[in-house]
Amino acid sequence: MTRRQLYTGIVSLALASVIFILPFVFIFLTAVKSKQDASRLIFSWPVEWQFWENFLQVLQTRNYLLLLAYFNSTVITVFAVTLLVLFGAMVGYVLQRRPSPWNKVIYGFVLAGLMIPPAVVPTIWVLQSIGLFKTITGMIFIQVAYGLAFSVLLFRSFIATIPRDLDEAALIDGATPLQIFFRVILPLLKPVTVTVIVVQSISIFNDFTNPLYYLPGRENVTVQLTLYNFQGQFQTQFNLLFMNILLVTIPPLIIYIFFNRQIVAGMTAGAVKG
Amino acid sequence: MVTQKSPYPYWFVLPAAIVFTVLFLVPTFASFWFSLTRWDLFSTQFIGLENYAQFLREPFLIQGTINTLIFAFATSATKTVIGLLLAVLLTSGIWAQGFLRTVVFFPVLVSTIGIGITFAALMHPTNGVINVALASIGLPGPGWLTDPVLALYSVIIVDLWKGVGLATLIYIAGLATISQDYYEAARMDGATRTQMFFRVTVPLVRPATVTVVTLSLIGGLRSFDLIWAMTRGGPGFSSDVLASVIYKQYQAGFYGLSTAGNVILFALIGLIILPLTVWFNRREVDL
Amino acid sequence: MTSVVLKDIRKSFGSLEVIKAIDLEVEKGEFCVFVGPSGCGKSTLLRMISGLETSTSGQIVIDGEDVTHAEPSKRGIAMVFQSYALYPHLTVRENIGFGLSLAGRPKSEIATKVEKTAESLQLAHLLDRKPKALSGGQRQRVAIGRAIIRNPKVFLFDEPLSNLDAALRSQMRMELTDLHAKLGATMIYVTHDQVEAMTMANKIVVLNAGRIEQVGSPMELYNNPVSPFVAGFIGSPKMNLYEGEVAAAERCGTYGIRPEHLILSKSGGKWRGQVRHIERLGADTVVYLDHPELKQIVARAPGDFEVASGDEIYAMPMSGKEHRFG
Repeated sequence: MTRRQLYTGIVSLALASVIFILPFVFIFLTAVKSKQDASRLIFSWPVEWQFWENFLQVLQTRNYLLLLAYFNSTVITVFAVTLLVLFGAMVGYVLQRRPSPWNKVIYGFVLAGLMIPPAVVPTIWVLQSIGLFKTITGMIFIQVAYGLAFSVLLFRSFIATIPRDLDEAALIDGATPLQIFFRVILPLLKPVTVTVIVVQSISIFNDFTNPLYYLPGRENVTVQLTLYNFQGQFQTQFNLLFMNILLVTIPPLIIYIFFNRQIVAGMTAGAVKG
Repeated sequence: MVTQKSPYPYWFVLPAAIVFTVLFLVPTFASFWFSLTRWDLFSTQFIGLENYAQFLREPFLIQGTINTLIFAFATSATKTVIGLLLAVLLTSGIWAQGFLRTVVFFPVLVSTIGIGITFAALMHPTNGVINVALASIGLPGPGWLTDPVLALYSVIIVDLWKGVGLATLIYIAGLATISQDYYEAARMDGATRTQMFFRVTVPLVRPATVTVVTLSLIGGLRSFDLIWAMTRGGPGFSSDVLASVIYKQYQAGFYGLSTAGNVILFALIGLIILPLTVWFNRREVDL
Repeated sequence: MTSVVLKDIRKSFGSLEVIKAIDLEVEKGEFCVFVGPSGCGKSTLLRMISGLETSTSGQIVIDGEDVTHAEPSKRGIAMVFQSYALYPHLTVRENIGFGLSLAGRPKSEIATKVEKTAESLQLAHLLDRKPKALSGGQRQRVAIGRAIIRNPKVFLFDEPLSNLDAALRSQMRMELTDLHAKLGATMIYVTHDQVEAMTMANKIVVLNAGRIEQVGSPMELYNNPVSPFVAGFIGSPKMNLYEGEVAAAERCGTYGIRPEHLILSKSGGKWRGQVRHIERLGADTVVYLDHPELKQIVARAPGDFEVASGDEIYAMPMSGKEHRFG
C-alpha cells in the first residue's frame, strides 16, 4: 500500500464516519436515553443509560404489539421466501431448458413484473373477492407475485451453467421429470438459492408499502407497520421510537454479517450482462 | 411424427403462473377499466376519461406528477455519478477499503421507514443535529422538511444516502470485469488518471451504468415509503409524488382516481424506461 | 443375432435434414463405432438410439423390441457422456446406485450391486468421494460403472475419451476394449477420431452429411474404401487423392494412393518431385513433395529415410495398392 492509498483511506473513513455511521450512532444513543433526554433530539451522550427499560417498554407497548409484529413478519417472510425459491427455480428451469415460442411471453411478464408498479386498489378488489384481503395468507401470495420476476431471472441464469448432460443421464437412469428436478437440479442450485433467500428475506421483511395497503388492522401488524404506528404514538417518546428502529435494524445487520457474499451476488446480478 | 413427453413439463410453470396472473396481471389489466370509473366503497360508475382530466386540472395532482419526475431523475443521476466515483475510490486499494464498502452499502439493507424517521429527527429545524452543527459554525440552517421549496430535495438527499451503496456495489462488480490490461496499455500510451477514467473506465463499465440507471429510475418513479415517513407529502402537497397521491386518494375513498394515478405511473415508467432500454441496446451494437 | 436395427431413420430440425434415411444392423456383442467429421450426424444418431432425441420417421429395434417410441429408460440402454455427466452433489457410491435408487430397490441390494461394480472397475476405494475429487480417468470409470450396473443390452458411448490427455486416452482405449471382451455386450461408440475407430471397433460406420458412406471392419475400410471420402478419412497421414487430368489418365474420376504405398527413390519412379518438407518420426519418415501436376505428394518411408529439403526424388506407387473411384 502506498502512502497515498493510506491517506486517502483515512480521509475517506473520516468522511464516511460522519456521513454514514453517525446516523446509526444517533439511533443507538437516542434509543438508550431517558424520555426527557431523548425528546431534545440532540446528538449527545445519554445522561442515564436505560437500554433494558426502554427495550422492555417497547416490547410491552400496546399489549406486546411488537412481538406479534415480529411473529407476523417472520411467518410472511418464511412462507413467501419458500414459495419464491420453489416457484422461481421451477419456472427458471423450464424457461432455460425448453426453448419455445412461449418463452418470449414469459420473459415479457418477467420484465413487466420487475418494472410495473402494482395496481393497488384493483389488487385489493381481487383479494377481497377471493377472501384473502387483510389475511397473512394473502400477504404471502402478494409477496410471491411481486418477487417472482427477480427469482426467476436469478435461477434461470444459474441453471444455464448446469450441463444438460446431467438431466439426460438422469433420464436414462429412469428419473421422472419431478425426480430430475428435485434430486438432480435443485441440490445443485444451492448457491443461488441462498442468494434468493437472503435478498428476498430482507426485502420482504423491510417491506412497508404492501402491508400498509393489504394488511390493515391491529392483529396483522408487521414490523415496519409498528414503526409507522409508533411514529404517531411516540411523538413524545423518541427513546422508545428509536429503540424500535434499532430493533428493526438488527435483523438485516446480522444477515449481512453472515451472508454478505450472497447479498452482493444477488444485488449485482445484472451488472455484468446489463 | 414421434412425440415424446418432455422432461421439462409446462406444468412446472403453473403454480407460479396462477399466483402471478391472479395477483398481478388481473389487477394490472383491471386497473385500465377502473381508472375510467367513479369508484367508491359502494359502486362503480363509468365516467370516461374524467379521472385523467382531473389529473391535468388539479394543481396538486400536476405537482405530484412533476415531483415524481424530479425525484426519479435527480436520485438516478446523483446515484449514477456518485456511485461510480465511490466504486472507483473503493477499488483503488485504499486503506480500510473492505470496511468502507460495508459502511456505504449497509443503509441499503435497513428499513426505509426507520431511516426516514431518523433523518426527520436529524433534519429538525431547531433541535436537529444538522442545523445544530451548522449553527455552531455560524450558518443559519434551513427548515429542511418544513420549507415547501426544500422538502422534496431534502428527501432526495436522504434517498441518495440510502441508495448510493447499491449503485456503488453494482459499479464495483462492473469494474471487476474490466481487464487491467486496458489500463496498462493506456499508461503505455501516456494517458493521465483523468483520461483513463473518461476514456477507459466510463465506456467499459457501461453495462453496470445501464443497470444502475434503469434500476434507480424505476425505483425513483415508484418511490413511496421514504417520502411518506419523512413528510407525508407535505408541507401542503409540496413533496407529494404519484405513489403518495395514489395512497392519499385511496384513503380518501376515491378509488377510481387513485387507480388512474396508478395507470399514469406505469405509463410514465413505460414511456421513460422502454425508449431508454432501446437506446441502451442500440448503443451496445455500435461498440 | 442382431442387437440393434435401424430402419429408414430420418431426422429433421425444421427444414434442415440432419439424418437422411439410415439403415443399419448391429450384431449382438459387436463393438460398433460411428465415425465422421463434426456435423455428420453421428451424435444425433446415437442420441436417437438412446431416446434422448426423437426420430422424425423410421423404426428403431433393440433386442427384437420396437423401441421407436419408448422412453430412454425403457430401452435397455446405458450411456456414457462426453462430459461423463456425474452428479456433482452425490458420492461415487450414490452416482453408481442412482438409477437403482430411483427404481426404489431395497438399500441392501443397491449396496451389494454398487460394491460389485466398483470392485470390477477398481473403484472400491473411491466410493465415498465426490466426483470433484477424482482424476479424469477415475471419473470416466465411474461413468462406465453407472452404465454397467444397469445391465443394459446396449452400451452407448458419446465421444467419451475426448476430454482426456493423449497418454490416458490410449490407456482408456485398452480398458474399454478389455471391458468389451469381458462383458461381451453390444457397444455403440461415437468418435471423430479415426484412430479410436480403427483400434477398438469390430465394425466401423463412416458417416458423412447425415448418410452412411460405408460399413465394414477396420481393415475392410482401409483396404477397400468405397469412396474418396472414406479413403481420405481412414488412415494417417491422409491418402493422396487426385482428380482431373491425373485421374483421367488412370481412367477414373478420382485416383488415390496411400503415403505408405509410395516407394521413394533417387534413381527413378513414376513421378519426380521436389522435397518441400520432411517429418522424421523415428519409426518412419513422412516426406512432402511438390509436383507440377499433382501439386503435392505425401509419402511415408520406413525408418530414417535419407533426404534433404530441396532434393529432387521419385515416387512410385506399389502395384495393387492404387485406388480408383468412379
